[in-house]
Amino acid sequence: MTDSVFFDGIIKILFVCVIITAAYIITTKNLITLVRVYALQSLTLVCIALALYWYEGAAILLAIALITLVFKVIVIPYFITTVQEKIRIKRDIEFHFLSPTSSLLLSLGLMLLVYITLSRIFQDTLAKGSIGTPLFFGAVIGISLVLMGMMVTFSRKKAITKVLGYLSMENGVLLFGLFATELPFIIEFLIIIDLVILILLTTILTVGIDSTLEEYHNRLHRFYLWEEQEEAP
Amino acid sequence: MTADFLLYGVINTLCVVLISPLFVSLVKKVKAWSQGRQGPSVFQTYYTLAKLLKKEVIYSRNASWIMRITPWACISAILVASLFVPLVVVTEPVGGIGNIILFLYLLVLARFFMALSGLDAGSAFGGMGSSREMSISAVIEPTTIIVFAALAFVFKSLNLIDMVTVAAAAGIPVSPTLILIGISLFIILIVETSRIPVDNPETHLELTMIHEGMILEQSGRNLALMELSAAIKQTLLMALLINLLIPWGLATTFSFAAIAVALCLFAAKGAILALVIGLFESSMSKMRFFRLPSLFMMAFFFSTLTIIIEVFA
Repeated sequence: MTDSVFFDGIIKILFVCVIITAAYIITTKNLITLVRVYALQSLTLVCIALALYWYEGAAILLAIALITLVFKVIVIPYFITTVQEKIRIKRDIEFHFLSPTSSLLLSLGLMLLVYITLSRIFQDTLAKGSIGTPLFFGAVIGISLVLMGMMVTFSRKKAITKVLGYLSMENGVLLFGLFATELPFIIEFLIIIDLVILILLTTILTVGIDSTLEEYHNRLHRFYLWEEQEEAP
Repeated sequence: MTADFLLYGVINTLCVVLISPLFVSLVKKVKAWSQGRQGPSVFQTYYTLAKLLKKEVIYSRNASWIMRITPWACISAILVASLFVPLVVVTEPVGGIGNIILFLYLLVLARFFMALSGLDAGSAFGGMGSSREMSISAVIEPTTIIVFAALAFVFKSLNLIDMVTVAAAAGIPVSPTLILIGISLFIILIVETSRIPVDNPETHLELTMIHEGMILEQSGRNLALMELSAAIKQTLLMALLINLLIPWGLATTFSFAAIAVALCLFAAKGAILALVIGLFESSMSKMRFFRLPSLFMMAFFFSTLTIIIEVFA
């Protein structure tokens, strides 16, 4: 019993950390901080996976923790940071549609919406009592993180911040997968999103990490990498 | 009123009055260090207050009775508010003492008189300071109320003394969501004490000053009272943050040893928090006036989230 209470406390603290990092990803303007916060968020996910492993003992959780640690805490942030050191732009202060403030307000609404929707679906899990609640809450925060990442993706202008939005979305999928587990579809989804990120990262790293998407198109035009440009003189 | 509560009141008021100037100068010292200066001594605020208390008071020719009663109104409102936040020892609350809403409105009362006195002296700076202060307080007030509502949800009580008693009995943070409230409380602490992203406490530049602008016309012992009430307000908010988040060591009985230990611990924790405030202030630049709501929104977000989690989970 004390075991489950302790587990409950640890998991709740980690959830709070995830929410704090998500809020920072939405509002912060400094690109270097943004990458660091992303790494921190991934590290929190590693901790959550380890806590779940400690509680449930499934070896797959250990594997997930390891993969997340290697790729999302070390490799991806390292890549982005090295590129960032070379470009001039250090801050992203351009926003489409939503200011950071209204994004925060909107994400509150989204979390509430996700909670209400999921509480209908997860009635069985909730019925399990003390263990059910943190599991359910993990699923809620996972989906909310996906939606918040989506909001980052469309409200930021710079390509690099859009990518970070994707990455944070993927963290949300991972979180959802950890708590509402044994869904092969989720794993597949995870891999697909990973691929998307990989492609985005590689294209953007080579040509346009410091630009907005519109400028990026122009650069592609300039390098004759864009179909319609063929007819131009 | 019981003897216990009387004792609590005396101890609490003494502590808060004696320790507040120390925290103010500690923050100054940390800021000086981070700028590579040596900075004034940590007892400098005590010297300044002592010096000001000996000086004569000069009123502007335009000043009315408001200017004369403002320092006393401020210090008395803040001192009464200080009874609401247990610093080193907790006891049974008596009457309305400890009520959150009364606490907030006592702070607002002090602020109201300060803004009035800024206008009263007829100086242009004072008027500007008052107008800015009132706009900021109008925007921060909903946030403050939500933060305190979140606290009430977590502790299931509307009484600050009860809250601290619960926290002190647990010794550790009662709920993980308190981390979220901690961030909100920190932002409120920064805003209410006119620190850097909102206001710059060190400058007397007409474009930036808010708090300093309002007390520009105060002099002598009136100025000392205003400075002291600002210092006490800061200590109260710091104490709220400390005693709700890291309450261990708080005395629950009126034994001399327990109170002494609690006082030392409180001073140590307060010094650490002052260090954090100083570093935070040094690492930020002052925000543009119309950017400020986004800072408040952060506090609002975290405290609303706390309420959601507390209500549903």
